Amino acid sequence: MAGKIKKLIDSLIEQRSQGSASIATTTRTKLLLKGIDAKKYTEQSDDDPAVINTIMQVANEMGISLKV
Amino acid sequence: MSVQVAQSQHPDPYAAADELRTTLGELKPVLVLFFASSSYGPDGISAAMKNAFPDSTVIGCSTAGEIISGSMLNNSVVAMAMDADTIQNVHADTITLKSPDFADETLTRLAKAAGNTPISLDPARYVGLILFDGLSGAEESTMERIGDLTNIQVIGGSAGDDLAFSATYVYLNGKAYSNTAVFAILEPKKKFDIIKTQSFCSLGKKLTPTKVDPASRKVIEFNGKPAAVAYAEAIGVSCSDAASHFMKNPVGLMAGDEPFVRSPQRIEGDAVFFYCQVREGVDLDVLSSTDIIADTKKILDEKNKATPIEALINFNCILRTLELKQEGNDATYGELFYDIPTVGFSTYGEEYIGHINQTATMLAFLK
Repeated sequence: MAGKIKKLIDSLIEQRSQGSASIATTTRTKLLLKGIDAKKYTEQSDDDPAVINTIMQVANEMGISLKV
Repeated sequence: MSVQVAQSQHPDPYAAADELRTTLGELKPVLVLFFASSSYGPDGISAAMKNAFPDSTVIGCSTAGEIISGSMLNNSVVAMAMDADTIQNVHADTITLKSPDFADETLTRLAKAAGNTPISLDPARYVGLILFDGLSGAEESTMERIGDLTNIQVIGGSAGDDLAFSATYVYLNGKAYSNTAVFAILEPKKKFDIIKTQSFCSLGKKLTPTKVDPASRKVIEFNGKPAAVAYAEAIGVSCSDAASHFMKNPVGLMAGDEPFVRSPQRIEGDAVFFYCQVREGVDLDVLSSTDIIADTKKILDEKNKATPIEALINFNCILRTLELKQEGNDATYGELFYDIPTVGFSTYGEEYIGHINQTATMLAFLK
């Protein structure tokens, strides 16, 4: 399976930014500083369970609910 | 005039604070921000500043050099006083740095005082100001936690101690603290902006940390090779010469074209220690230094042209200060801020979204 990581990252940024472009950009940088480089993942990226787990953990820390 | 700056080099803290009070005249500041050389005892300078400004919120820290409009100083105390025409409200408290979770309590309390929850604070209306004990090693985890909780921009610096690396302090309302951050939610009356400037370009070479110890800010391997070997290869020098290139060739986490600089500190064995955390698996660009004076002038001119800057708080990395001094450019750097009411200090780390190195982060109050 592929593409789940990009979907999760996109959903996290969308929920956090609520349509604000500047908050979306800042959230991408926050993810990068936490070790998640959003630009590395595409719809073809493998569903690496370790990366998915990290994103779920970060979402939890941010108070955001994501569905795998 | 709603913002004024002042300096004193009087060695006695109470005499220095009185001199600042006199220079600042009749201004009734809501917030007084001060940066003091470590030559001042922490308890004395904090108490003296609150004594001089009893009706204001008084925030400060120890430094590795002070900055004021027109000059870079040492063995001084510099202060910026802002009245209600610049800062409508300030809510400030300390964060104990024993665990990042302590940020939750402080931020929630301060946001409540501003009539909000942390996540509901409007980033266009509020800005966070943070000063860390610069030897706490807790900046990354605390900044990340604050970033989890709120969307407001948070800017600041890590306190210094004139390169003694012995003890650094933050100050709030007459008290001095170690292993603590002072965090303030500011509500400026007018618009504000963040300036982040670092003088580096990418060499187009990547170093990916493949084995790290984040807690000690240590990289054991880059690209599957011993870290010191891979770094030396990337910049084209021998391992024994690598450390002498640290200042000119740090690495950067690239957010688009914008590097978040990670500065190497020392080599031990084959490992490279950094001044901030480096994450495993996240690509870093090898950087090459450019001209600090030209780059800083350019961004100040651009910002001033867009909307004139009324006042500036400058958190300037001590490594930038050392490079400026090495090249005899420290006076020229100070002069860049001659026409702008400015205070700042040479930091042991800069804060903006996260913890960064070899950068100047500035909070600009706009006209």
